[in-house]
Amino acid sequence: MTATETTTGEGTRRITTAKAMAEAIALEMRNDPNVFVMGEDVGAYGGIFGSTTDLFAEFGAERVIDTPISETAFIGAGIGAATEGMRPVVELMFIDFYGVCMDQITNHMAKIHYESGGGVKVPMVLMAATGAGYSDAAQHSQSLWGTFAHLPGIKVVAPSNPYDAKGLMASAIRDDNPVLYLFHKGAQGLVWMAKNPRSIAQVPEGAYTVPIGEAAVAREGSDVTIVTISLSVQHSLDVAEKLEGEGISVEVIDLRSLVPLDKQTVLDSVAKTGRLLVVDEDYKSYGLTGEIAAIVAETDPTMLSKPMVRLAVPDVPIPYARTMEYGILPTRDKIEAAVRELAS
Amino acid sequence: MTASSSTPGTSGVAIPFPMTSSDDPDAEGVVGTWFVLDGESVTEGQIIAEVQLDKVSQDVHAPAAGVLRHAVAESVGVAQGGVIGHIE
Repeated sequence: MTATETTTGEGTRRITTAKAMAEAIALEMRNDPNVFVMGEDVGAYGGIFGSTTDLFAEFGAERVIDTPISETAFIGAGIGAATEGMRPVVELMFIDFYGVCMDQITNHMAKIHYESGGGVKVPMVLMAATGAGYSDAAQHSQSLWGTFAHLPGIKVVAPSNPYDAKGLMASAIRDDNPVLYLFHKGAQGLVWMAKNPRSIAQVPEGAYTVPIGEAAVAREGSDVTIVTISLSVQHSLDVAEKLEGEGISVEVIDLRSLVPLDKQTVLDSVAKTGRLLVVDEDYKSYGLTGEIAAIVAETDPTMLSKPMVRLAVPDVPIPYARTMEYGILPTRDKIEAAVRELAS
Repeated sequence: MTASSSTPGTSGVAIPFPMTSSDDPDAEGVVGTWFVLDGESVTEGQIIAEVQLDKVSQDVHAPAAGVLRHAVAESVGVAQGGVIGHIE
C-alpha cells in the first residue's frame, strides 16, 4: 500500500495524465538507448490521446516510429525487439483493436518467457487507450482489462491520475516482463474531452517509479470501501467528497494494477469497513467485480456486515447514443446510490 | 473548473493567445486548461496553459517569472492575439 498524497510534486508545475506518460517515456529514453516507441500516429501527431506528445521532436523517427495500420505486424516486431534486448513501448491505439493482434499478445508476448524456460525475456510495454464516455460507440469504448488480467503472463496496470501515470510507466519500461499499460481516454486531461480536474496535477519533474502490484488508498474512510481502478477512481473520489458532508465516510482503493493484484490492501480495507462496493468500467460478468468478491469470500466472508455491491457495465455493447451510453456506465450518480445503500 | 474569481490583471507582462490559424485570423479559441492557478508563482518558460482553436491545441509558456493573473476563464472565447493573462 502506498499513499499517493505524500508523494505528489511541489510548486505550481501541473501536467495532464497524457503529458505525465510522455514525460516518463522521455526520461527512460534519455537514460536507455534501448527504449523506443512504436505505433500508429505516435510520431509527429504525438499519439491520438497525447501519450507520446513531443517525443518525436526530441528523439526523431528512428526511436519514435509511426507504423502502418497492421497491429499484428508492429506488435510482433516489438516482441522481436524485446527478445533481442530492446525495451519497446508499443501503442495499440484502442484496446478494442486487440482482436486483430491477440495471437501476438497472448501466445507470444505473454508466453515466450515461459516457453523458453525463462531463457528469453520480453521487456515490452504495450500501451492502449481504454474507456467510454464520449460517444465513440461499441468498438472504441471498451475497458477490457479483465480480459487481459485473466490471461497468465502479462502484467496489467491502469493509472487514474498524472502521478501514477508517470510512475507506473517508468516501472513498466524497466520491468523485464511484458506489461499492458491501459490509460483511460477520459483521464488523460485532454482539452477536447470532458475532463475532471483530477486529471491535472503536480508531478515531480525527475524520474520516479510507482511499483506495479501496489494499490493506493486514494482516500481513507471508515464506513464503506470502494475498490476500483482507472477513471472510476476519479468518480469515486468525487462521490466520497460529496458524501463526507453528510457524515458518510468512504474509503477509496485505487488498485492501479490488476496483475499482480494487491489483495492485502483490499482485505485490510474491507476488514475495517465491512461494506464493499466494487466499481468497474469493464463488463460485469467474469471480471474484476467478481474477482474481488471471490477474494473476500475465500479469505473470510464474515468480514462483510452487508452483502457487497457490484457496479459494472452490464454485459452489452457500449451504446453510441450519449444517454444510453451513460445509462450503462458506472457514473457518479450510480456510485453515490450504491454507497448510500451500503451505508444505510 | 479553475476559473479566476479575481479581477483580470491589467499590469505586467501580457500573455497573448498564440496565432494558431493563419488562414482564419479572426477565429476564436479557448483556454482549455489553466495548469497554473490565478495568483500562483511561475518561472520563466514554465507551461502555464493549454489553448485550443478548432481541433488544434498548443501549450503556452510563461513569458517571464512572477505571479500569474488569469484574464480569462477556461472555455471562454478569446481572439488570437487577445490577452489571456498577465505576469506581475
